[in-house]
Amino acid sequence: MPNSVGKRFKPTKYIPVSTAATFLVGSTTLFFVFTCPWLTNTISPAVPLYNGVVFLFVLANFSMATFMDPGVFPKADEDEDKDDDFRAPLYKNVEIKGIQVRMKWCATCHFYRPPRCSHCSVCDNCVEDFDHHCPWVNNCIGRRNYRYFFLFLLSLSIHMVGVFSFGLLFVLHHMEQLGTLHTTVTLVVMCIAGLFFIPVMGLTGFHMVLVARGRTTNEQVTGKFRGGVNPFTRGCCGNIKYVLCAPLVPRYNGVDPRKKPPVSIQPPFIRPDLSDRQISIKVSNNGIHTSILRSKSKISLDGLAVDDKGLDTQPPLPPKADRYNQLKSQLKSQLTSLSSKTHPSTPAMYKYRPSFSTVPKVHYHAAGEKIVMPDDHRKASAILEEGRCHVDYRSEPNLDLPDYRNAPLHRSFQSSPLQLDSYPINSSSLSLKQAHQRRDKGQLPVLQPETVTSTPYKSVFSPLSNRNSSLSYDSLLNPSISPATAAECIAHPGMPSMGSHSPYLPTKMCHVRGPEPQIQRQQVPPSFSPVGMGMSRGRQSPQDRDLSPVRYDNLSKTIMASIQERKEMEEREKLQLLHHGGCSQAQSYAQAQDSGMFDSSGGYGLPPSACYPDSPRDPSSRGPTPPAYGGSRDNLMGVVSYGPRTPVLRSSGGSSLARAPRTSSSSLHTDSSMQGGRVPEPPCRSPPHQPHHSPAMPQSPSYTHKKLSFIHALERTDSPRLGGPREAMMQSKVNGQTDCHLGPNRSSAQGTTLSPSRHSNVKKVTGVGGTTYEISV
Amino acid sequence: MATEFHNLQELRHSASLANKVFLQRDYSEGTTCRFQTKFPSELESRIERTLFEDTVKTLNNYYAEAEKMGGQSYLEGCLACATAYLIFLCMETRYEKVLKKIGRYIQEQNEKIYAPRGLLITDPIERGMRVIEISIYEDRGSSGSCSGSSSTSGSSAR
Repeated sequence: MPNSVGKRFKPTKYIPVSTAATFLVGSTTLFFVFTCPWLTNTISPAVPLYNGVVFLFVLANFSMATFMDPGVFPKADEDEDKDDDFRAPLYKNVEIKGIQVRMKWCATCHFYRPPRCSHCSVCDNCVEDFDHHCPWVNNCIGRRNYRYFFLFLLSLSIHMVGVFSFGLLFVLHHMEQLGTLHTTVTLVVMCIAGLFFIPVMGLTGFHMVLVARGRTTNEQVTGKFRGGVNPFTRGCCGNIKYVLCAPLVPRYNGVDPRKKPPVSIQPPFIRPDLSDRQISIKVSNNGIHTSILRSKSKISLDGLAVDDKGLDTQPPLPPKADRYNQLKSQLKSQLTSLSSKTHPSTPAMYKYRPSFSTVPKVHYHAAGEKIVMPDDHRKASAILEEGRCHVDYRSEPNLDLPDYRNAPLHRSFQSSPLQLDSYPINSSSLSLKQAHQRRDKGQLPVLQPETVTSTPYKSVFSPLSNRNSSLSYDSLLNPSISPATAAECIAHPGMPSMGSHSPYLPTKMCHVRGPEPQIQRQQVPPSFSPVGMGMSRGRQSPQDRDLSPVRYDNLSKTIMASIQERKEMEEREKLQLLHHGGCSQAQSYAQAQDSGMFDSSGGYGLPPSACYPDSPRDPSSRGPTPPAYGGSRDNLMGVVSYGPRTPVLRSSGGSSLARAPRTSSSSLHTDSSMQGGRVPEPPCRSPPHQPHHSPAMPQSPSYTHKKLSFIHALERTDSPRLGGPREAMMQSKVNGQTDCHLGPNRSSAQGTTLSPSRHSNVKKVTGVGGTTYEISV
Repeated sequence: MATEFHNLQELRHSASLANKVFLQRDYSEGTTCRFQTKFPSELESRIERTLFEDTVKTLNNYYAEAEKMGGQSYLEGCLACATAYLIFLCMETRYEKVLKKIGRYIQEQNEKIYAPRGLLITDPIERGMRVIEISIYEDRGSSGSCSGSSSTSGSSAR
């Protein structure tokens, strides 16, 4: 019988099956014809009935075993093996339940044979769960028909036993009539049954063992699991159950590309939303590359930022002011400051933002410089997300506005909500940062614009922000800085150290705040917008740096300062790490805390330390607001560019701010410009400002960041330092902050200098001072 | 029909097969049918990860349900035995039912999610359940109108 078109008719392969079929059917028929009638009469009619049923069963299984597709794999398309054909290794290993199983490449079928699959040379097919090729049924025995084969064997054995027994009974009763037809036939049948009895029973027994062990004939014969473990076994009972009760798998081969309605594919094609993806923004602040991975949550930051409470011009934030308020206030202050300094409107701030923003969202960056911190942070994130905003950061023209930085920073505080609205809080943070950065860079006035929100802070910070990078800036600014700011600056130094009451205030702000009444530290006259009150406060205390010309007076100085900052940051980090445990608490704390506290919590804390030489920013300040910090940290990471001094602050602040608005205040602080979301962080973030502070600030994370940023970023001579500490801070913050969402950022912030590889699209924006921000989407 | 062919040609002009991604089987738990949920890099820019993972996970669940050795499969086996397997001529097994469900699900996913993104999933049954083939189409410019048969079915043909 020709099997298939194209195949040569090979009669020889049908001999066994024909023989088997002939014997089976023939013998049984003879049995029924010659033996059964007497049995029926003698014993009972149940005998033929029983034999009939068994025989039927045998036939059914035999047919199924013969005609059923064993599980043949369709040969693979060329497309599938395109890669494999030439350079494919012969074997591919796969682990099954802990055991390495080798899959061999099938040259005929063009795929790697799945486990337990083998190629049948007779059928020229790969068969799933290949057992063997049975000539008696002229078919492969595989997954689909193994059960029928096994049952066939069982039933055949039973049948043979039955036939033989009843035949024997007949013969024994007809011993004297052995020559009669019936007896002869019965004898012949008995002989056939007896003849095949041994092989069939042997095979049945063999397969019963295989079933119990969960192996196939192929595996048993080739000794695959000899002495080893069979990964395919399900236990004895499980194996038996699998063989007998498993559902019947439909065949693969004869499947038509089902007639289903065609699916039309027409362009334009939807592409996944980039915004949905994490956008890592790397801001290389001063060469510090920190990437902040921002997820959509960033947007939340925005929410946190400015919009809420509106930026009222620096409402004096009570020490316990809620972070949020603080943040907002900070933002506003920032904005105001920004706006004031640069232009009455946002544009200026934006312009400068980039420079500031070079620091990753870390609003922290210069606590002093950009007050934007907490808000900024959020905004930064938001901004980052939008892309535009970030750009602002980066592109900050920081350099352009030397005055801005100073002036606006200071001014912004009191100013009415500056463009805060225009930039979402982020911008404020950014501006702050930028401002700071700028300052660091070189008295970049830009800072202010960046921290739109934190403009008020900025102004404050500017003098203060020197903390991180702003130190030098401060010095520079000082002259330009209004006296208030100067005072603030001075005051601020202390800020970082203390967890300023306004957690939101970025560290910088802390410093800036110094002058603000809110500042807990009270060291700084609250001339600055209360927004960052807490922050500033914190900062202020440590900020004595406001005039630390040391750092950023000029580039060289900044470099030195950055180095110092770095060291400080390292110290701070350590402290912060210690305090990290308290970070979470700190967040809440941060809220209550003024910005100064933030140092600990967020960038805020850091910057002060970082920026300000006044190491009085005790780590404790940081400690309290670790939570904020953490969040800000992330931001900071991005924003590290805060400035040479407080690069960390920025980022950390931002991140923390972004993270959790909870400590609104804290977020504000933290350089929160960066964080926007994470309020608590702010203080920490502002390390950039003060290198000194970093050590002081308990929040080492930001410092860490800063340091990292510093290291990485050496782009900006002045800013690197800030970045360094900032990064350090950020990192420390990250570590410390339990709920730092920095997770992803952290890695980035941790001094990844521009991890461009991280994302497919990386936008590089160069900010003031050479800071390069990379935003990868 | 001429129209269909025409449409198909237009379709081809507008979106042509650029690449194919093959999702391999996950054998870590034995030979039960599971596909790897690892997101292939070629699809990075084409579809959201979550959607993709949802699809694969749903498919895995379907296959697990199909292969479940529970009471129903046992009863089916007994019934089949009792009727000398003649029951298979008139009744559809559980596995087949689930496979049909899977086919419908894939069709629906293709229509709703993948085709708009220029992707097409091929039912793994057509590949012997070894891989899930996802065809990636590129926009070649002029858009044809159309509703040609999916190229995957075409491509699935060997």
